[in-house]
Amino acid sequence: MNLKNILARENRVIFISICVVLMASMIIVIGQSIVQSERQAITTPMSAASLPLLPEESGVFRLADQALFYLESAKEQGTRTLSIYYQRRAFNGAPPVIPHEVADEASFGGNTCLQCHENGGFVPKFNTYAPLTPHPELLSCRQCHVPIHTQNLFKPTTWRTVAPPTINRSAMAGSPPQIPHGLQMRENCLACHGGPGSVKEIRTPHPDRTNCRQCHGMAESNEVWVRPLVSENK
Amino acid sequence: MNRRDMLKHMVAVAAMSTASALFPGIVFPNSQFENFISEESLTWKKSPCRFCGTGCGLLIGLSKGRAVAVKGDPASPVNRGLCCVKGYHSVMALYAKDRLTKPLIRKNGQLVETTMQEALDLVAQKMKETIDKNGKDSVAIYGSGQWAVPDGYVASKFMKGGIGSNNLECNARLCMASAVTGFMTTFGVDEPMGCYEDIDHADVYIMWGNNMAEMHPVLFSRMLDNQMRRGAKIIDFATRTTRTSMASDKSILFKPQTDLAVANAIAYELIRNGWLNESFIKRHTTFKKGKTNIGYGLEDKFAFTDEPKEASFEEYKKFLEDYKPEIVEKVSGVPAKDIRFLAALYGDPNKKVTSFWCMGMNQHTRGTWIQNLVYNIHLLTGKISTPGNSPFSLTGQPSACGTAREVGCFTHRLPHGEVTSEHDRQHAADIWKIPVEKIPAKPTYHTVEMFRALDRGEIRFMWIQVTNPMVTMPKLKRYRDATKKEDRFIVVSDVYPTPTTDIADVILPSAMWIEREGMFGNSERRTQHFEQMVDPPGECISDAWAMIEVARRLGYKDLFPWDKSNHVQEIWKEYSLFHQGLDHQMATYEALKSNPGVMWPCPDGKETKWRFHSKYDPAAKGGSWDFYGKPNGKAWIWIRPYEPAAEIPDDEYPFWLNTGRVLEHWHSGSMTRRIPVLHQAVPESYAEINPDDAKELGVRHGDKIRLTSRRGTIIIKASINERGVPPQGMVFVPFFDESLLINELTLDAFCPISRQPDYKKCAIKVEKA
Amino acid sequence: MPVKSYLAYPADGKRDELTRSLQKLPGCEIIPSENTDVIVLITDTPDAEAEKSLEEQLQSMESIKFLTLVSGYEEDPMPG
Repeated sequence: MNLKNILARENRVIFISICVVLMASMIIVIGQSIVQSERQAITTPMSAASLPLLPEESGVFRLADQALFYLESAKEQGTRTLSIYYQRRAFNGAPPVIPHEVADEASFGGNTCLQCHENGGFVPKFNTYAPLTPHPELLSCRQCHVPIHTQNLFKPTTWRTVAPPTINRSAMAGSPPQIPHGLQMRENCLACHGGPGSVKEIRTPHPDRTNCRQCHGMAESNEVWVRPLVSENK
Repeated sequence: MNRRDMLKHMVAVAAMSTASALFPGIVFPNSQFENFISEESLTWKKSPCRFCGTGCGLLIGLSKGRAVAVKGDPASPVNRGLCCVKGYHSVMALYAKDRLTKPLIRKNGQLVETTMQEALDLVAQKMKETIDKNGKDSVAIYGSGQWAVPDGYVASKFMKGGIGSNNLECNARLCMASAVTGFMTTFGVDEPMGCYEDIDHADVYIMWGNNMAEMHPVLFSRMLDNQMRRGAKIIDFATRTTRTSMASDKSILFKPQTDLAVANAIAYELIRNGWLNESFIKRHTTFKKGKTNIGYGLEDKFAFTDEPKEASFEEYKKFLEDYKPEIVEKVSGVPAKDIRFLAALYGDPNKKVTSFWCMGMNQHTRGTWIQNLVYNIHLLTGKISTPGNSPFSLTGQPSACGTAREVGCFTHRLPHGEVTSEHDRQHAADIWKIPVEKIPAKPTYHTVEMFRALDRGEIRFMWIQVTNPMVTMPKLKRYRDATKKEDRFIVVSDVYPTPTTDIADVILPSAMWIEREGMFGNSERRTQHFEQMVDPPGECISDAWAMIEVARRLGYKDLFPWDKSNHVQEIWKEYSLFHQGLDHQMATYEALKSNPGVMWPCPDGKETKWRFHSKYDPAAKGGSWDFYGKPNGKAWIWIRPYEPAAEIPDDEYPFWLNTGRVLEHWHSGSMTRRIPVLHQAVPESYAEINPDDAKELGVRHGDKIRLTSRRGTIIIKASINERGVPPQGMVFVPFFDESLLINELTLDAFCPISRQPDYKKCAIKVEKA
Repeated sequence: MPVKSYLAYPADGKRDELTRSLQKLPGCEIIPSENTDVIVLITDTPDAEAEKSLEEQLQSMESIKFLTLVSGYEEDPMPG
């Protein structure tokens, strides 16, 4: 065995050991970065406090991008009337029932209900425009909305509720009418007052003006303000 | 107005005035609506929902003395403004036409109307006669987790402090007794350590046999929100495919009863992979083992007492050798890789895990064991009592925690502690100002045994309140026949006619929910107050007041000195004396009135979100965890084996029968079926059957099938590929329908430790009808 | 062109069903009472024949317990 061979063998050993060191360091570096990235993924979830609490403002401008389309399609008449709107609710503000067959009893919003009720549009099967949900972020639709399988009652009821608000509620001729209902889960005005799926009687003639509450105030109280007496002011 | 409108107006006015003459007091809507500006002008008052144990905060719209609308209370941390279809329509349950408004007494087989005074006189007289003739343990009160706190408290004081009998039970025994014994055996004190806020912190939710999408829909929506916004994972671990499975990231099916084996297999994997929190285990846990082959309670007077013995980690490790995933796969049908997947979720130190369960683990002949085993997993990994790390036992009734558990409406309980403890009896006697000897030290009958005692004749008088056992008892026929036996006197307090009022000798009409003042306590230790918002109809009174009236007639005036106008406040003050101290301090009456619920313990008015950790819980000592319910502050890790169900499908009865609820109906349906929307959505019960089984039987959706067990039979419509799909060999039937009583078929086997029956497992056969 | 008013009383538990079916009928308007089951029904038909067929439809409704005519006008078509 000559020296050259010995050297070559030594070289090989050195080469192999360098490779081993490199591989080991690579494993350490990659491993650390994986651990690091996992840790980051774990430590950066949105904090509990930042989750929205059904605020009255969060969805206000959703659908604003549809406004011009609604303006153009204003001529297209949806068939929904105010009387149908109220028939589907046990009281003003109650979740409406589902007036049609549902495709899948076990499904969740994104797969079924929201296909029509998130963005709307004409549904040939029912020959009408789909009404929009004002809260498409809630996916468990069937939690509150149920289809009706019989018109009969288990027992008759004496339930009654207050009459729904009247329309054309302007303080003066031509002034913008007040909002007669709460905004919880219904803060997106265009969903119910905008497109062709909306109710005829309460459809806005100007869906392109999307900052609705600029002009339409809430009717929170039916009292007028009276300046308190000085003695009460103390 | 044109001429034609004018004519219409005239004929309408004529018709309305004719109607007014025919029906005095008739009201037609005023077309001008002068007084009605908006829904915001109604009076809105807060109340917890009447239905499930979630305890959603509602705002109830009131007009002219009636409840007319509901919306979710945005200020409530429970539901943050969202309800479910039952909650939104809950107030309609007050107004069905067949509401019981007058007391009824059975005379010659017929129920006849009487006055409240006479009815209460009769109840008191019968109670006294029965005690004189057969002893004080021949009378019993059977209440409910729907009792408001004052009702349960009056019942306990009346029975245990007045009459001196432990014959007090409630339907919560059928609903969450195993949850209680699970907490007691592992931690030494009852009720969850965490709260609903865990949902917003957890990375993974594991649902143990829990169809939350239908049963706790508001909490499920909160999970969906977290799933959508920050990628939290929902894992469904169940015996049938449900809506919850559809929304979950992964659904794993197991064979009934084998959750015990899978839980042990997860623990095995945790140890094998070294996914343990060893310092936590060393400092905060200790190992125990109990009796095995503990029976099913099928025979009368069945008795069982567990004997905890010391065990070691080595012993535990050796015990788990029998639960290797490959072995458990054969028993449970859960692939070993899925068991490893579950173990990896629990074992990942970077993941916060919350487990949820309800009736799947509670209504289980080894209900206490399975709770112990799930706690084991959380204890081995130290994932407990910190935000997002929570083994979370949910409840099904609005005050199962608040009344049944906290007031202690069970034979062995007192408002604080147990009758077997001299210290606890003395404590109660001091508050009630009675001699301690008055309170008997020995528990009498748990619910199933109480109805058996009624059958045998040891109990002759039973007062049933806010519950419908003639729909909900397992093996129903035996217990229905018991109530009809000669010389049994049954008083029923309820709001509507039910199969239970059908067997009553006296029916007392109750004021329900917001027709009286009260408190409910929900699953997360939150006590919620509701005031009286509307007048009860007719002669209805609250169950608390009915019991006070009867107790006074029996000579216990001193125990119930309160005035009708402020008795709820006085009761709350007295009851709070039982829970003094850092570990269970209740909120003041004033705090309850002004808050959308307060979580106990709340010493100095500060509520506790996570118990057993000194960072969150003022009762916990040391720098970290302190399981102060147990000696040395150490929680118990239990060695509990898999044991089979009481009745297993065989050649003759080849199907499992599983029973439960649907989203639209609550319990026996006596309220929800009278809410038009809910009845119209689900008008009758049905039997879910696997499509392959249906094909084999030649049954199509909607066809009638006959279900038969060794105890009874019903004919019911088959439901195929609808809301839920059971695996082959299982049938699922909701129990809300009083004309399709599925409990004629169920078995009265129960967990020997909790004495809670198993409504999820018995054997039946299925035939085309 | 007859305009008539009736008092309608629904069969037990069928108030909502009756309300709904009456609203669907052409030429029918209703004023349901707030606190009883009584419904005031106003019919507006173009001619006697339509009036008769509407009456027949009303009679055949299962959700009606009884129906009684209160008042009515027979209006002659305006000349021209």
